[in-house]
Amino acid sequence: MELLDQLGVDELRERQRMSDVEILTMGISFTIYSDGENIDRAWPFDVIPRLISGEEWERVANGLMQRLRALNMFIDDVYNEQRIIAAGIFPGELLDDATNFREECRGVHPKFGVWAHISGSDLVRAGDGQFYVLEDNLRVPSGVSYVLENRVVAKRAFPELFERHLIRPVDGYTDELNKLLMSLAPDGRRDPNLVVLTPGIFNSAYFEHSFLAQRMGAELVEGADLVVGDDECVYMKTVQGLERVDVIYRRIDDLFLDPEAFNPDSMLGVPGLMRAWKAGNVGIANAPGAGVADDKCVYAWVPDMVRYYLGEEPLIANVPTFRCMYDDERAYVLDNLDQLVLKPANESGGYGIVIGDRAAPDVLEAAAASIRSDPRNWVAQPILDLSTAPTLVADGIAPRHLDLRPFILTGEHSYVTAGGLTRVALKEGSLIVNSSQGGGSKDTWIVDLDDDFSARFTTPQTFQPLLGGHGQTQSQSQSQSQTQSQGQGQGHTQSQSQGPTQSQDQTQTGAEGDVADPEATG
Amino acid sequence: MALLSRVAERLYWGARYLERAEDASRVLQSFGDVLADYPGSGMQWSSLVAVAGAGGKDSIDVVASEESAVVQYLLADREHANSIAVSIERSRENLRTCREVMPREAWVAVNDLSLFVRGAAATSIDRRRRERLLTRVIDDSRRLDGVLQSAMTRDEAFEMWRLGRYIERADMTTRVLGVRAASLLALPAGATEEFAEVQWMGVLRSLSALQMYQRATRGPIIGSEVVRFLLFDHRFPRSVAGCLAEIRASTLRMPSHTTVLGTVESVDRALRRSRPAADDGVALDAAMDGVQLALGRLNDVMHEQYVVH
Repeated sequence: MELLDQLGVDELRERQRMSDVEILTMGISFTIYSDGENIDRAWPFDVIPRLISGEEWERVANGLMQRLRALNMFIDDVYNEQRIIAAGIFPGELLDDATNFREECRGVHPKFGVWAHISGSDLVRAGDGQFYVLEDNLRVPSGVSYVLENRVVAKRAFPELFERHLIRPVDGYTDELNKLLMSLAPDGRRDPNLVVLTPGIFNSAYFEHSFLAQRMGAELVEGADLVVGDDECVYMKTVQGLERVDVIYRRIDDLFLDPEAFNPDSMLGVPGLMRAWKAGNVGIANAPGAGVADDKCVYAWVPDMVRYYLGEEPLIANVPTFRCMYDDERAYVLDNLDQLVLKPANESGGYGIVIGDRAAPDVLEAAAASIRSDPRNWVAQPILDLSTAPTLVADGIAPRHLDLRPFILTGEHSYVTAGGLTRVALKEGSLIVNSSQGGGSKDTWIVDLDDDFSARFTTPQTFQPLLGGHGQTQSQSQSQSQTQSQGQGQGHTQSQSQGPTQSQDQTQTGAEGDVADPEATG
Repeated sequence: MALLSRVAERLYWGARYLERAEDASRVLQSFGDVLADYPGSGMQWSSLVAVAGAGGKDSIDVVASEESAVVQYLLADREHANSIAVSIERSRENLRTCREVMPREAWVAVNDLSLFVRGAAATSIDRRRRERLLTRVIDDSRRLDGVLQSAMTRDEAFEMWRLGRYIERADMTTRVLGVRAASLLALPAGATEEFAEVQWMGVLRSLSALQMYQRATRGPIIGSEVVRFLLFDHRFPRSVAGCLAEIRASTLRMPSHTTVLGTVESVDRALRRSRPAADDGVALDAAMDGVQLALGRLNDVMHEQYVVH
């Protein structure tokens, strides 16, 4: 990597040190809960950026926008006509025990037919160099504030690179988010009031809630700041008395939103909020119930949704998923147990997942028995070989596994962040990228070559390719991550030496708040 | 732009705690300076504890206590609710939840200060290092004021911040007068004029008022003049009258302020009642208690008006 060679490890360490100080001073933090205490920790940041070419990113972004359009049509459909079930494409019985299906949402028509306005899909680059969607986080995905903050820090760490190269800016996200949220205000409301609803200072993602409110000029409210009036409108308590609220960007899980409709013990929510929403008096993003499409089992049908609702072929790949409820797919799974990851659909947080090539024979036996007796509850996927990127560690620069969480906005229009949050496992061979468990992050650079952009600038020769030589940039960037993962004996094999808790499945199934930990737990 | 009641309260307390830390730092600093001039004078470090208030912890033996124990208690003690370290921590915690209503640099300033104090408080007890910490607290507190003064919209959030600042400041000025000035007015006959003068200079310095006092009076440092200056010279922003003028101005810019304004006027009446006490230590102490009580009522009335509804 050109950049690393030029600077050398000592210079990189110096820049890493400066960045660490900056993160501390700027108060960029995340909160972890430990020993009954909330600890505000400095955000872990690896100074070496992760690079993706602009050309490749276009394809990924288009794929994500298409995917979210289809997912939203699906959610709207299952809460209304259920055409996809009538058409025999999606098995309706799957909804019966789907933990995220909300009966209370039946018959609701949110604006633009959109339910999951903000999503943060987890992507991995596998052994074939391709990006795959690992899961769609449709409820309250977090991490976007760190995308923006990482960029601030990276700009200061590598000012010369930002001067010489075309690195796409990420700063526009909050503006796009603001526009999207404002568009959800009830019709006819002029100068609508937008609030960000947070569970409070003790939540792991509080920093982000505050950050987004600041950047949008919105009020950051807690449940107790809001009240639903007799007119079924939502109000906030201000120094001037009650003031109407038009749009709520909620960062609280469905089940805690409204003690009247869901968990009666919730102290975080607002009694009557669901009534206000159903009456069309307030916009809520993401809509309650959007999580129905965010489920290991439903995931397997996303490519079918794209084809059914949009009449298009999916532009971004699902990890191939075998659905054990179908005889032929189950037969394949049972014949190839040792080459698959077996996932029970209704478990979360990585529980019950079996990695075929490292599980003990009796564990595989038990899983097979369970698949035979309850096939509907099982899916299986091939074992992925995750890519790595160079990372600054104690001994120097070494490859570490990573994933990527771009953020997709869906409303009247769609928008995808330039790149997203790259999370990196800091331990050798580990696949655990969660910051609460020692994972780090990197700034993600979507880099355009001067060829693509030269028309826009009068002096294109000042821009040097960052990814390698002209013309073959993309293949280089891909082979880069590939070579490195092979260089350390392939990511997957390496991770075998780790205990079973540090396995691939954790990366694959981490709950969606898992930049630190799930935010919806109250 | 509406201001949430909860945020209003946190801003107010964020400002009060920061002002408390700044003022306590100055008192500690100036006391040390005076003592350096009169090492054997019998001045007690423990008298400072009365200025700061016990803050819910009275385990310190205030009679026998030495410099290091008192400084530890006032500066670094995490169990002492009014210690400088705790005040700064609380200010930070309050402002951490107000970040969306203030310019970002303001949060950076207070966060930066709290990181520094957290690391340095325990090792800043001895005189040399203490000086560095106290100066930093005073400077950073003012830096925050500067950021807000130059970059914050004059909205309700700004007024809540000012209210917190000035109420705490007025309270601290009355405490310094009630404890230190009152005891100086009652100085035994044997004390030299020079000794008294140095002491009064210490009082003025502890409120950042020496130079402005001299400019305003163009005369020698006389106890009762100092008291009058610190109570009634409304042009000086740390005098009680000056603080009250700012409190009144901010109150008038807040919504539905009738009741609050009425309470501000009652603080003003309590202040005016203290005028005859400027020459008499015991009376001054009592009069200052009266002003503090009125400020306490103002605090409660504001809470009812803007926070609880």
